[in-house]
Formats: sequence, C-alpha cells, structure tokens
Amino acid sequence: MKLARLTAAAGLLAVLLFAPGLRADTLDRAGLVQELCGDAGAMGRAGTALVATAASGSAEDRAFAAPLARAVIDRKLGCDDAGAVLDEGGLDAITRMPRAAAGTPRSPLLSLKNRPVFELADAAFALRGAPAVAQRAAALKTLERRPAQIPEGLLDTAAAAESDAGLKEQIDTLAQTAALNASDPAARIRAIGRVAENPSRRALTRIAALESDPAYAANPEFRAAVDAATARIERGIALGDTLATLYNGLSFASILFMAAIGLAIIFGLMGVINLAQGELIMIGAYVTWLVQQGLRVAAPALLDWYLVLAIPVAFLATAAIGIALEALLLRHLYKRPLMSLLATWAVSLFLVNIVRVVFGTQNMQFETPFYVSGGVPVIGDFIFTWNRMFAIAFAIVTLALTWGVVRKTPLGLNIRAVTQNRDMAACIGIPTRRIDMMAFGFGSGLAGLAGLALSPIYSVNPQMGQNFIIDSFMVVVLGGVGTIAGTVLAALGIGQINVLIEPLWGAVAAKVIVLLMIIAFLQWRPEGLFAVKGRRK
Amino acid sequence: MMRLGRNGPIVLLTGLILLVAVAMPALSGTSLEVSRYLANAIGQLAAFAVLAISLDLIWGYLGILSLGHGLFFAIGGYVFAMYLLKHSFVVTGTVPDFLQFMGWKDFPFYWAGFDFFPYAFTVAVLVTLLVSGIFGYVSFRSRVGGVYFAIITQALVYVAMLLMFRNDTGFGGNNGMTGFSVLFGWQMGTSGMITALAAGSLAVLALVLMLCRWLVGSRFGALMLATRDDEIRLQTLGYETLRLKLIVWCLSAVIAMVAGMLYVPQVGIINPRVLSPELSLEIAVWVAIGGRGHLVGAVIGALLVNAVKFWLSSAAPDIWPFILSGLIVLVVLVFPNGLMDLAKFRLTRPMGPKRMAEEIGEARP
Repeated sequence: MKLARLTAAAGLLAVLLFAPGLRADTLDRAGLVQELCGDAGAMGRAGTALVATAASGSAEDRAFAAPLARAVIDRKLGCDDAGAVLDEGGLDAITRMPRAAAGTPRSPLLSLKNRPVFELADAAFALRGAPAVAQRAAALKTLERRPAQIPEGLLDTAAAAESDAGLKEQIDTLAQTAALNASDPAARIRAIGRVAENPSRRALTRIAALESDPAYAANPEFRAAVDAATARIERGIALGDTLATLYNGLSFASILFMAAIGLAIIFGLMGVINLAQGELIMIGAYVTWLVQQGLRVAAPALLDWYLVLAIPVAFLATAAIGIALEALLLRHLYKRPLMSLLATWAVSLFLVNIVRVVFGTQNMQFETPFYVSGGVPVIGDFIFTWNRMFAIAFAIVTLALTWGVVRKTPLGLNIRAVTQNRDMAACIGIPTRRIDMMAFGFGSGLAGLAGLALSPIYSVNPQMGQNFIIDSFMVVVLGGVGTIAGTVLAALGIGQINVLIEPLWGAVAAKVIVLLMIIAFLQWRPEGLFAVKGRRK
Repeated sequence: MMRLGRNGPIVLLTGLILLVAVAMPALSGTSLEVSRYLANAIGQLAAFAVLAISLDLIWGYLGILSLGHGLFFAIGGYVFAMYLLKHSFVVTGTVPDFLQFMGWKDFPFYWAGFDFFPYAFTVAVLVTLLVSGIFGYVSFRSRVGGVYFAIITQALVYVAMLLMFRNDTGFGGNNGMTGFSVLFGWQMGTSGMITALAAGSLAVLALVLMLCRWLVGSRFGALMLATRDDEIRLQTLGYETLRLKLIVWCLSAVIAMVAGMLYVPQVGIINPRVLSPELSLEIAVWVAIGGRGHLVGAVIGALLVNAVKFWLSSAAPDIWPFILSGLIVLVVLVFPNGLMDLAKFRLTRPMGPKRMAEEIGEARP
C-alpha cells in the first residue's frame, strides 16, 4: 500500500519535473522557416522564437536553430518556392538534406528593429554551443551590450555548463547585471540583494548606477533595497580594505623579521652590524633560482617543489658564506666595530658585483608553483593571496626555528651566555670564538632563508638586498640587540606603520615618519624595546 | 695616541696644495697648460678632500663614525645649485628644466632670494646647523654612539635620498638640477672658469686644512682626543662632553656642506644620488685608507682613491668595485691606520704581523 503511494508520488514528481522540458521541445521547425521568409513582422516573431529556443530549447532544437540565425544575419538564407535553403543552395533549411534551390532564391533582409534580436539570438546560441572559449567570450561581449533583453535563464544555464573559470565568472557577473535590469521589480530587488552579498568596488559601481534609474525615485521599496545594498557593500569594502592593509603589513613584517633576525643575533653577540646581510638575502634568492634551474634539468617532476627543496640549500650556502666571512675577516675586528662596518660593506660591494658579473643585472625568472599562486577572495577587495601567506608562514617557521635553537640547544645556551658576558663565558670554558663563528653562520643562513621567502613576491636582482637592509637595521635598533621578542615586535610595528601610512602620504613619507619615530623612541629607551640585561659594551 | 707637535707633513701638504692652486692659473696660456679635464678633476678631488677632512674630524678625532655625511654635502650642493639656477635665470632668463618638466610657471616660494649668494650661503649654513644640531643633540643626549649612531645616520641619508627623489619637492626630483650657465656673473664652462674653480677649491682645501690643524692642536683638540679615548673618565673629571661633541659634529657638518658647494659647479649637476648611502660609506673608506686621526691622511686618502676611481671609471668601470672592496679589506686587516702605517715602517726588520701590531700600537684581540 505504502509502496504504491510512494511510487505514484514519485511518478507525479517526475511528470512535474519534466513537463517544462517536454513543452519546450515543441519547436515548429517548418513554421519558423516560413516566418523567416516572411515580412518584417513575421521575421520579428521568428527572432523572438529563436531567442527563446536559445534560452530554453532542447539541445537538438538549438543545434537546428543556431545556423538559421547566423544565416539570416549573413544573408546566406535563400527563400525559394519550396521553403528555404542554407548556404546559397547547399542544404534544405528544414530537413538539412542536400538539395538545389528551386528557382531564384531571395535572401531576406533584416530590418533595423529585427537585427539586434537576431544578433542576440546568435550570441546566445554561441555562448551555449560554440566549441572555442574565444568564441563564447565574444558572444558574451555581444550580450553585455543589451543586458535588459537577455532572456531569463539563459545565463544561468550557460554559466552552469561553462568550463572556463574566468569566463564563467564573467557570465555570472552579466547574469547579475541582467537581473538588476530586469523588468520585474521583485526580481530586481532580489538581484540587488544577491549583488550585495559579495561586496567589492565593482558591485558598488553597479548598485550606484541604479540610483539614476527611474525606479529609484518611483518605487520606495526599490529605493530602500538599493540604499541598504549600498550601505552593506560600503561596510564590506571598508572591512576588506582594513583586512588587506593588515595582511600586507603582516607580510611586510614577516620579510622584515626574517631579514633582521640574523642581524639582531649577530649584533647582540658580537656588536657587529653586518652590512652584507642584504647581500646574503640576495644570495639566498639566487641559490633558490639555481635550485629551480637544477630541478628543471635533473627532475622536472619535482619542479613545483623547488621552493621547499631549496630551503636546506639556501640555508647552508649562505651559512657557509657567513662562516667564511667571520673566520677570514670579522674575527680580527671585534675590538673595532666601526671598522667591521666598512669591512662588511666591502663584502657586500664584492657580492653585488660578482653576482652582477655572473648573472647580469636583469630580474631572475621564477616559476610560480600552485601553492604560491592565486588567492581566496575574502571580503570587499581583500584577496588572501598565497604568495604572501607563504612568506608569513615561512616567517613563523623561521621564528619557531630560531627560538628553538636559541632557547633549547647547547649552541643557543652558549650564544646567550656570550651575549650577556663574553669574558665570564670564556672564563667558564665556553669556546667564544667557535660560538661567534657558529652564530654568524646561523644568522647568515637565516638571511638566506629570507631571500628564499622573498623570491615569490619581490623581483630578484643583484640590487635587491639594498632595499631591505636599512629597514632591517631599523628593526634591530628599535627591537634592541639580541632579543627575538624585540625583533618580532619591532618588525610588526615597523611593517604595520609603513603600510598604514603609505596609502595616506606615500611610501617616502612612511619611511621618514618611521625613522623620526625611531629616533624619538631612542630618546626614551636608548637600548631598544627589549634590552638584554648584561654589561654595556 | 698621535703626537701633537709634528707639523712637518701638514705644512708640506698645504704648501703643495697652494703651489698647485697658484701654478694652474699661472701656467694657462703657456705650453705647460693644464688640460680642462685635468683641471676639472683636480678641482673635484679638492672638494672630496674637504669632505674627507670633515669626516676625519668627527671620526678620527672624536671616534664618532657618521655614515650620513653625504646629507650635509648634499645640502651644500643643493643650495649652491639653487643659487646657480636662480642666478642664471635672472641673468640670462633660462628657465630651469625641472620647472618646465613639472609644468610650473614660477619658482616655489622658498626659492625667493636665492640669486643673492650671501643669502644662499647663510641659508645653507643655517639648514646644516639646524639638521646637524637637532640630530646631534638628540643622539648624543641619549648616548647613542658607535655602531648605533653610524646606522642611524645611514638611515637618515637614505630617507633624505628617498625624499629628494620625489618630483614635487621643488628641488628637481630624480633628474636633479643641471644646466648652470652663469656663476657670479661669469660664463661657466670656459677654460678660465674651470681653472678658477679648481684653484679656488684648492685654496679652500688649504684653508680648511689649516683651520682643522689649528683646532686639533689646541686645548680643544686635546679634549677631543680625550673624549675619543675615554669619554667616561673625562666626564668623571668634570668635563661636559655633550657640548664638545655637538660643536665638533656641527663644525664637521658645515665643512661637508662647503665641500658640496665646491663640488656642484665643477660637475655641473646635482641629483639625489649624492645622498645614496654608498657615497657616505665611501667617504669613510677614503678616510680609513688615508689613515683616520690624521688630517694629512684623510686628504691623501680622498685624493688617491678618487684619482684611481676617475682613472678606472673611464678605463675599466667593471673592475672598480672589486678594487675598492679589496682595498678596504686590506686596510682594515693589515693597515688599521691606513697609509699612515706605511709611513711609520722603517725597513730594518722584516714586516710580520707581530711587528705590525707593535708599531701600530693598537691592541689586537
């Protein structure tokens, strides 16, 4: 009993579901061709029928009707006594069987009023049926010119069938525009609500355009909907902009942190400012590039993972340079920190020029693996981009690594001991020279990692290190020597202040203000945010 | 510790400078005439030597390294360029390029009066004193010194460079200022003018050299050296080192500013590149190579390095950075007092690191 009722219900449901489809199937093919050969009024009716077919006809009907619309526009439809032929006497228009034209065929001419209708129909057919993306995109361009005439449902079905993501998005946008311009006020209000769901500057322009619509003055409901949508979109944009600023600030701070942390450790330990730190960053980026090129030759399947595979290589290469620098040069200069400035500058000059001679001055080309390309649109115009996320995540990992090494390893314990009191550390048997060398290597390796993290965001060339070096000095000066927490806070502060000021007064003003703030800050705390408790050198 | 009594080298050097200054105009017209290129190069070298003296005064005698002396050099250069442009405009009616480029009809208001040199000079001195005074006061008061001071001065000159790169500041933007045609009413670019500028620069160099020699030889100079060697002890003895440091710092800035004024009419252009941190670092390199703490050394270092640079930048521009970095490494590792170390060696014992350490007298770690 129960089963029978269920079956009946399912059958009824099926009938209800398929009924519209069945009804749309009934395209009167002969009548359509006859009207196409008729007078202007008949042709107009035929055009409307074509548009309807394009929107809701079955696949066969659309395949049948699409050539007709094109043929009328191109004047390739020949009306003769037996009906009509396509392609100047190739095929019969109704049966699509080869036949010769009976008598002299007459090509109907579209009136000015009917032409747009046929063009619309042609574009609608092309949007749903054309094989090439370019053809569908061209059809969409035609439709965009008359959003109000687009039949309901056409764009939704076309968007559902569309395989190209970019074009699909454009179709959706047009569908919204069409709905906004629909004749039914309730549909328009619904469309306004839907547009407001995804606030962006584009959505705002579209809604703002409605304020000059006659309905805005006439229909209070419409007006309220538009105003509410505008307010909602503006809120969304403001939120999105704030988030985007914070996000950019965070990614800039991550870069600053990675550039500065090695500098801070070295400065805290030995009182040496390494002016070649920016060049070590540059070397890190070039090593990453070399790893990419190596993978291209040796293992193309792993090419996408070059950013990950380059991590140990970049770290070890720059750490080796750092250790060599310490052992050959800086070892002799610890009592003369000002001379070590000049010596490390000489090294930076050397590195910049050797890279320039070997690789040239042009920007290096990097692959963009899938995990650093694109992003997720969040709200307003804020896009959560993966390349910046990569830098942020990388900085967090670097921070954890540095913290782990400094706090949890014997090397870190020794580094902290020597930083606090070199002579006393030496007295209790810590090999201070060895610690210096290891710490210098560690700090240089961190610079190399910074270069790696930079490579998906910034352009990589021999000069790139100089863009970061002064900012990262400021981080060290502000944060205080040799403290990880100070470096993190200072990097976050300088990064955020930079991006907050930049849109207001420009990048230069941001740098000026940051410098003035640091100088003022040093009046209050000359040793930076977190001064290490130890003897002043 | 340097011996204060020895005047031989400095008198010799000053005499030589003055001799060249007199000989260049005297020889013009004869068969021994100095070529325009050489005269111009000598004039520029003299400006650089003045710049080196200014840094040596603060670094060599007070132990404060500034990596931002390009800022004061640029103040002098920019003000002199403004004077030249305004003067040329008044005399010949030439509208400066940057005004046309920006589409401005008239000079910005702060250019008023710059065609009158004494006013321009006063402005340059006041701006230099203001910038160096405020910056020096806040830094020395909070005991910012050593590497910190060097880094912050470098940031200062870098920020100034970014500022001057902007086109809307009214100072020529990234193209800078050029097209000077008239100086003190005379046509620029003639042989006579080039020689006169070079001779004038040499004369100023000699004057600055003598002035600084007198300063460091005086009681004040002894206090400077005492501050450099042990500031805390000097303070304990009751001396106020803040004022002393500030005076020397401002004086050094003004000398650098004068060097900028000598430099601009001879190269015929000024742009924000003079504010790049590299130039300021290079000044320190000249002094280090010549021997800091010796006025003669600073002058010789500036002359030598820049002469090689002039020669190489036309002969083999790619090699110059490598030579410069090699020179710096050599100086900081082997000759901590620069060329002055060479002068001290008597070639009786073989030169080894041990003897070097002895003769240099600087404690090695």
